[in-house]
Amino acid sequence: MATTHTHKQQTILMMGLPNVGKSAIFSRYTNMHVSVSNYPGTTVEITEGFMTLGASRVRIQDVPGIYRLDEGTDAAQQVAIDMLSTEPDAILFVLDAVNLESSLFLLMQVLDYKIPTVVALNRSDLSGRRGQHIDHRVFATRLHVPVVPTVAHENDTLDALKRALVKQLEAPDTDYILHVGDKERWTDIERMIRRAVKQPIDPFDPHDRTAFLIRPVSGLFMALIILGLTFGFVIGFGMALRQFILLPIFRGALFPWLIAVVERFVAHDVLRQALIGDYGFLIKGIEWPFALVLPYVISFYVMLSLLEDSGYLPRLAVLLDGYFKKIGLTGTSIIPLLLGYGCGIPAIMATRSLPSRTARIRVAVMVSFAVPCVSQTGAFIALLGEKSLFALFFVFGVSVLALVITGFVLDKLNKQPVPFTLMELPPMLMPKPKVFGKKVAMRIKYYVKDGAVPMIIAIFFTAFLYEFGVLNVLGRALSPLVSGWLRLPQEAATPLLLGIVRRELAVLPLFDMDLNMVQFITAALVALFYVPCIAMIATLAKEFNGRVAVGVFVFTTVAALFLGGLFARTATLLLLLFT
Amino acid sequence: MQATHPPISMPTVTLSTLLCGEEGTVELLPDLSLLSSLGIRMGKRVKMIAKCLANGPCILHVGDRAIVIDRAVAERIFIRK
Repeated sequence: MATTHTHKQQTILMMGLPNVGKSAIFSRYTNMHVSVSNYPGTTVEITEGFMTLGASRVRIQDVPGIYRLDEGTDAAQQVAIDMLSTEPDAILFVLDAVNLESSLFLLMQVLDYKIPTVVALNRSDLSGRRGQHIDHRVFATRLHVPVVPTVAHENDTLDALKRALVKQLEAPDTDYILHVGDKERWTDIERMIRRAVKQPIDPFDPHDRTAFLIRPVSGLFMALIILGLTFGFVIGFGMALRQFILLPIFRGALFPWLIAVVERFVAHDVLRQALIGDYGFLIKGIEWPFALVLPYVISFYVMLSLLEDSGYLPRLAVLLDGYFKKIGLTGTSIIPLLLGYGCGIPAIMATRSLPSRTARIRVAVMVSFAVPCVSQTGAFIALLGEKSLFALFFVFGVSVLALVITGFVLDKLNKQPVPFTLMELPPMLMPKPKVFGKKVAMRIKYYVKDGAVPMIIAIFFTAFLYEFGVLNVLGRALSPLVSGWLRLPQEAATPLLLGIVRRELAVLPLFDMDLNMVQFITAALVALFYVPCIAMIATLAKEFNGRVAVGVFVFTTVAALFLGGLFARTATLLLLLFT
Repeated sequence: MQATHPPISMPTVTLSTLLCGEEGTVELLPDLSLLSSLGIRMGKRVKMIAKCLANGPCILHVGDRAIVIDRAVAERIFIRK
């Protein structure tokens, strides 16, 4: 008798259309957090985890969504097709209750592989809310495959799905009804849907309440309002959190206590200075990552997660598609660009859902060059927001302008045909508070692990390099560039050097320097365009190759220094002429 | 009473020429297999919802789905009003 107690670990492959809830089911089964959003292309690589199935522990693989097996439109989708040939023990196919036609077509193609398959009819709650009742038994009978209605956040439906999987693994049944050719498949699909769907919803719903988001004039107007509100919330909420809660705690209570303790117990001058001096590790190592940057990380991820889960991002992509085509990209490029304002690494990985390697490299270069990550954005807001909101908007305006110009130049240098835009818009959804809260919490956790900890380590070493005079020596060596060309004080060489390690460290040390407004903006522009952090360079090398990574490193360094110097001279000249 | 299906002799137009709110039946379409997976197949009723600025894509309702079609592709799809 076949049993799940085998020596070889069994593997289940999850397949389905894009944006049908595969990753949500995967997360529930494995207790692993994977990014879940309401737009196609959220999953761009194979994610592997383990789940308990009966008495066994089996491997489960989540792959990017795809429409057809005979046509992968990007690198991510090709991964899904390739995984089928790895001969998994079973397939967990996620059928979309709100998009039965295309789901059933893909299912028929998958069944051709004769791999034991269980079908989860997911999002049945959503189709129910739209007035549909789907009799899943019609599909099960017609195709001869087990079908279980599921809702990704309801445990009992997922338990039923598990039982069906155990059954298929214990006694595989692959006696499916197969179809030959597209025409036969579509005919049978239409017949099945007519029988299975009891209350078809009005195909042309005149009360589509979200249509104004995609109509040209109202859509662009709403985009301006939504992006403006997003920017306002990120600045306003972050600033309030920082000024009224975090700074009073840190500066009013924690730091005086730390300083008193160090002064009392640490006698050695250099060590004491390294702990509580100009680059004091105990002060800056806490203040910079947690009091200056963290508030904006929280406010940014709240808004980004809201935009992702509501389904607004693909609508924005569609609205901007015509404009993006003028620089050789499709509108969906806006998604990795926006993700870049969080962190450049997932943004570069998200380019996998773009239709060509050229488009991927272009967007990756744009993110590396002119999109500040959330830590750097937080540092900009903290630095410039307090001095002048005009300066802050100026720097972000230059960032957007630089993105457009970079895209335009890259297109001119390497003209390629732009792929067609063909996609499905996901429905607008109200984010589920629990899922939304978990997502924001996970992103903040990642910031602490991948952002704050390296920042603290860098500050630790900087404190000692500063106290031993190494930074001073390097500052003098870079003086012709920093003081001569950029017209900044010699000590501004320190953030330039630190910026190679972490982007925000190119900004944060400027806080304690006595700079005028032109110097603040010059330093901010250099920091904006300057080398992406080491981790991003490594990601570029991994995703593309060493040449791209080195090219980005050289290009961003040269361009940042050139543009910074150019701004310093132009602004000084204009001030002389008009004051 | 308006007929459900217009007579076959009615002239076909390209999808891109449909005005917002207008409907039509797909008569001829280019050889792009993804179109059929998005629900755009011969004989299907479609309704134009929006045409984006800057020669951007067209947004259609096909059944209960909102589909985004590149303007260049919409110019190669023929429909009967």
